[in-house]
Amino acid sequence: MRIARYVPYLVGAAVAATFPLFSGAYLEQVAGATLIYLTLALSWDMLLRSGQLGFGTAGFFGLGSYAAVLLFLNVGVQPFVSIIFGGIVAGVVALLLGLAVLRLRGMYFAITTLALAGIFAVVLRNFPSLTGGAEGKMLPSCIFSGDTANVYWLILVVAVMTIVISEVFERTRIHVALTSIRNDERVAKSSGVNVFKYLVFVFAVTSAIQGIAGGVYAHVFGFVSPEGSFSANFLLLPLAMALLGGIHSTWGPVIGALVLGALSEYLKLQIPYGHLLVYGAIIVVVILFLPQGLSGAARAWRGRSHAARGAR
Amino acid sequence: MLAVSKLNHYYGKAHVLRDLSLDVGTESVGVFGPNGAGKTTLVHAIVGLVRPRTGDITFDGRSLLRMPTYEVIRSGVALVPQERELFPYMSVLANLESGAAYIPAARKGVPEALQASFEMFPILKTRTRQLAGTLSGGEQRMLAIARAMMSSPKLLILDEPSLGLQPSLVTELFHKVRDIGEKSAILMAEQNVRQSLKAVSRGYVIENGAIALQGPSDELLHNDHVRRAYLGL
Repeated sequence: MRIARYVPYLVGAAVAATFPLFSGAYLEQVAGATLIYLTLALSWDMLLRSGQLGFGTAGFFGLGSYAAVLLFLNVGVQPFVSIIFGGIVAGVVALLLGLAVLRLRGMYFAITTLALAGIFAVVLRNFPSLTGGAEGKMLPSCIFSGDTANVYWLILVVAVMTIVISEVFERTRIHVALTSIRNDERVAKSSGVNVFKYLVFVFAVTSAIQGIAGGVYAHVFGFVSPEGSFSANFLLLPLAMALLGGIHSTWGPVIGALVLGALSEYLKLQIPYGHLLVYGAIIVVVILFLPQGLSGAARAWRGRSHAARGAR
Repeated sequence: MLAVSKLNHYYGKAHVLRDLSLDVGTESVGVFGPNGAGKTTLVHAIVGLVRPRTGDITFDGRSLLRMPTYEVIRSGVALVPQERELFPYMSVLANLESGAAYIPAARKGVPEALQASFEMFPILKTRTRQLAGTLSGGEQRMLAIARAMMSSPKLLILDEPSLGLQPSLVTELFHKVRDIGEKSAILMAEQNVRQSLKAVSRGYVIENGAIALQGPSDELLHNDHVRRAYLGL
C-alpha cells in the first residue's frame, strides 16, 4: 500500500527523464519552455507561502539572464558556470533589496517588487557599452549548439532542483514558520520566529532560482534584451499557472504549469496570440470557481468521496 | 523576574496605558479588568508586539524595550495569544513541536517537554495524530497552553485563556493553570475574575489603563469594589 502511493511520482519521474527518447525536437522545445515556466511558477509560490505577493519574478529572471550572458561573453567561463552566476547575482541583489523592501507588506510590497523589475531593465538599457543597450546582446552560439534533447534535460534538472527545494521548504521548520507568518505575523513572532530573517531568506532563495531560470533561458535562445528578458510574460504566465494548479503547495504550481503549458501551446497553434486571451479567461474562471486551484478541487473532491464512503 | 514600571501607551489620542507598573516574581499573577482596560496592550508591550511610549519593562534584569519579539520569547517568555494560537491543519503533535522549534535552546528538550505536556494534558496523548482544528474548543485551548509550555519558559503569559469556553471547561482550565504555576511563573490576563482569582496568588485590577487595585487573591476576593464590579455580589 505504501509503495502504491509513490507510483504516480515514479511514473512521472520516469516519463520526465526519458521524454526526449520518444518525442521530437518540437515537443522537447515545448516541454523545455513549460519547465522554465514551471520553475518560475513554483518559486513565485514559495514566496507567496509566507504571505508576500511578489511581482519581481520577471525582474530577477531578466537579471539572471543578463548576469549569465555578460559573464559568459566577457570572462569566457563555461555556460553552466555563467548560469549559476546568474542565480547568485539575482539572489544577492534580492537579499540586499529585501533588507529594505521586506519591511513593506501586502500591496506595497507587491508594487515595489514590480517596480524593481522595471528599474533593472532601465538600468541595463542605459549601459550600452556593457549590456548592448536597447538591442541587448547575442551569444555566438546557443548552449549544446541548440540540441533540444540536451536543452530539455538541463531545464529538467533546474525544475527538479526547484521542486526539491520547495519540498524541503514544505517538510522542515521553514514550512511552519512561513505558514505562521502568513496567518498572523504577531503569532509567528510570539512563537520565537525571526520573521524578517525568514522573509529575506526566502526572497533571496526564490529570486536566485528565478535568476538561474533566466540564465538557462538566455543560453537556450542565445540572446538577452531589455524587452525580451524582462517580459511581463515571465510574471503573468507563472502566476496564472500557480493559480490554476493551486497555491501554497509544491504540486499545485507544478500541475498548473504542465496543464497550462500544454494548453497554451495547443492554443497558439489554433489562434495565434489568442492564447493570451485564454490565459486571462483562465485566471478569472479559476478565481471565481476554483479558488483553491486544481489541486484544491481534487482534495475537496477526494474529501467528499471519503465522507460519502464513510457515511454509507 | 518581570518588572513593568510606569508604562504609558497611546493608540492615536487614546491613552490606553497610564503609568502602569506591576511585577511578577516566581508566583502566578492575574491581571483583571473589563474589555478595553488595556490587558492585551500590556501583554503585547511585554513581548514587544507593541512599543510603549514611555516606561520600562525588564525581565531577569534585562530591558525588553528594544528587544525584537522573537528574542523576548527566546529569553524564556512564552505567550498564549488570544486567537489564532494553533495551526488547525496540522496535527496535535506537529503543533506541540512547533512550540519549541523556533527557540534554539528548547529544541534538545522536545522529548522531555512532550512527556511533560502529555502528563499535564493526558487527552492530548490520545490525539497526537488528529488535526488540531478538529479538537473541541476546550481541547484546543489546552493544546495552545501545552504548546507554549514546550519551550519550558520561565514566565508563561496567558491572554484571556477562558474566552469562549463553556463554564465546566473554564473550571478545568484554571485548575491546569494553577498546576502549571507550580513549575513556572504566570502572568494571566482575565475577565473572569471569580474563577481565575483562585488560580493565582496575586492580582492587579486594571481600569482605563491604570492599576485600580492590587493585592493577594484572597484580599481581592473580599474587596468591596471587586465584589461589586466583578463578582456581582
